[in-house]
Amino acid sequence: MKSLQILEQRTGSNWTELRAARETTKRERAEITTALEDFPTADASLVVVGSLARQEFTPGSDIDWTLLLDGISRPQDEQLAKDIRYVLDEIGKKQPGREGVFGNLVSSHDLIHRIGGESDTNANTTRRILLLLESVAIGRPDAHSRVMNNVLYRYLEEDRGLWFGSNESKVPRFLFNDVARYWRTMAVDFAYKQRTRPEGGFLLRNTKLRMSRKLLFIAGMLLCFDCHTRFNEREERLAFYRGKPVEAVIARLREVLNQPPLELLANALVPYPSHDVSIKKLFTAYDRFIGMLADDGKREHLDKLHVEKIEGDEVAKEARDTSHLFRDAISELFLTKDTELGRLTLEYGVF
Amino acid sequence: MRRVGFSTGAIAYGDFLGALATLRDKRFPCLELSALRISELRPLLSALPQMDLSLYSYVSIHAPSSFSREDEGWVADLLYEAVPSSWPIVIHPDALHDVNCWARFGARLAIENMDRRKPIGRTADELQHVFDLLPDASLCFDVGHARQCDPSMTEAFLILSQFQQRLVQVHISEVNSASQHDPISHGAQLAFQQIANLIPEWVPIIIESRVMSAQITEESNRAATALASVPVC
Repeated sequence: MKSLQILEQRTGSNWTELRAARETTKRERAEITTALEDFPTADASLVVVGSLARQEFTPGSDIDWTLLLDGISRPQDEQLAKDIRYVLDEIGKKQPGREGVFGNLVSSHDLIHRIGGESDTNANTTRRILLLLESVAIGRPDAHSRVMNNVLYRYLEEDRGLWFGSNESKVPRFLFNDVARYWRTMAVDFAYKQRTRPEGGFLLRNTKLRMSRKLLFIAGMLLCFDCHTRFNEREERLAFYRGKPVEAVIARLREVLNQPPLELLANALVPYPSHDVSIKKLFTAYDRFIGMLADDGKREHLDKLHVEKIEGDEVAKEARDTSHLFRDAISELFLTKDTELGRLTLEYGVF
Repeated sequence: MRRVGFSTGAIAYGDFLGALATLRDKRFPCLELSALRISELRPLLSALPQMDLSLYSYVSIHAPSSFSREDEGWVADLLYEAVPSSWPIVIHPDALHDVNCWARFGARLAIENMDRRKPIGRTADELQHVFDLLPDASLCFDVGHARQCDPSMTEAFLILSQFQQRLVQVHISEVNSASQHDPISHGAQLAFQQIANLIPEWVPIIIESRVMSAQITEESNRAATALASVPVC
């Protein structure tokens, strides 16, 4: 049984919206896999991120896709991207804009080689972190899998502290810091968009920032913590890391990343039944959030409501209350010295 | 000290006698007789009784990489009868149509992990499906194929970790983007060194790089360097 189901049963909850979104995701993925089956090759993966990758797809969701190239560059690649867009238009799918971070070609080179520094643009960071934390290949996954491994290789192989540091906590700081940087970048970009897109979308973006974006950060944090928490004994952990087994850590992280973020979070919380009140609160809040997005009327209201009209608006209040419930549950679970997750969050997540 | 040798197909494609003559002076302990094309199989196996292979402490044979379902029966029968039972028979998993033809080979059959053009046998998971069908089969680990499929060498690590007890020989070469076997580059050497300590020293190393006669010694040195186990600290 999946961890989310275990927690649902254990806490006596009924997270119907999450189940519905998983079912919708399954149908949607099957449809686009069939429609686009001729595009993926050994050197090019069709990768989706966002709600379709997180198994949180609702009828109003976009399909954030990328044609990820990891092989010989060919002039015809540009045409492939146009054809993918055309096929998705033909079957009536909402897509990102042509000039956006997604909905186009991406080469593996920048994702692997440009981590940090001037050339690591906002778009490149976004593509890289989302590739790691919430991406799924539609059809043949070869290039997607290779690039995931190579990006993880960069983070791990170059993390001297992980292999040789005096700290016995085995958390890959290079990776963790990039995940944390991306979370803060999303928060800063929210403020930027508030300034540059005054026409609307504030409340929908704000709610997503407080919910799904925050979930992504938590998933990234837990991914890094898994390098430490997967071992029951200190000796076992120290023995595993002896000899710098980069490939073994990549293999383990890929297993963790096979789960969508919500399942990854549930999996990390299963060992803490004494915190079930907070666990129930957390997933119930997320279930409500998905329910709001699945409700066309509420979603549109959140998208169109002008920032000056938020005060006193019922839908806005529901979104705010849901996000506060989520925030409080996270604080109870992660900002505590009572658990290993809390201890690691305090050690790595703040300073 | 690794035991290395060449595939006859790398030295002289389709001309095993020419390749044997070229290799004779080099005195490598290992050899793979290659019949990658089905048309090469009968001539190669017919010539076996006349071949002087006394130089070699290890010999394997590479079965054709492709044959029809109709040919599969006689190919398997011929290999079973004509190849000495102590020689591993390397085979591509995507060449097999009916595993029942091959089950009797047991550990003599060495399944090779594939390059990224192939639909199966490329990853540890895909190899597991093959070994589920042929549970007694061995593994011929092609480190160049594994690197082509995953340059981070994570897949190589997984294959060697999961199937180390099946490992009977290693293929080594640079495998380029067209899946051709080239001389080992510096980049390939660095990648191969990452997993070298997972390959026991006794495992024979068969070089598949297509090289000229004058490059044979240099290429064998490259292979030995690439798989020199780095001490684990």
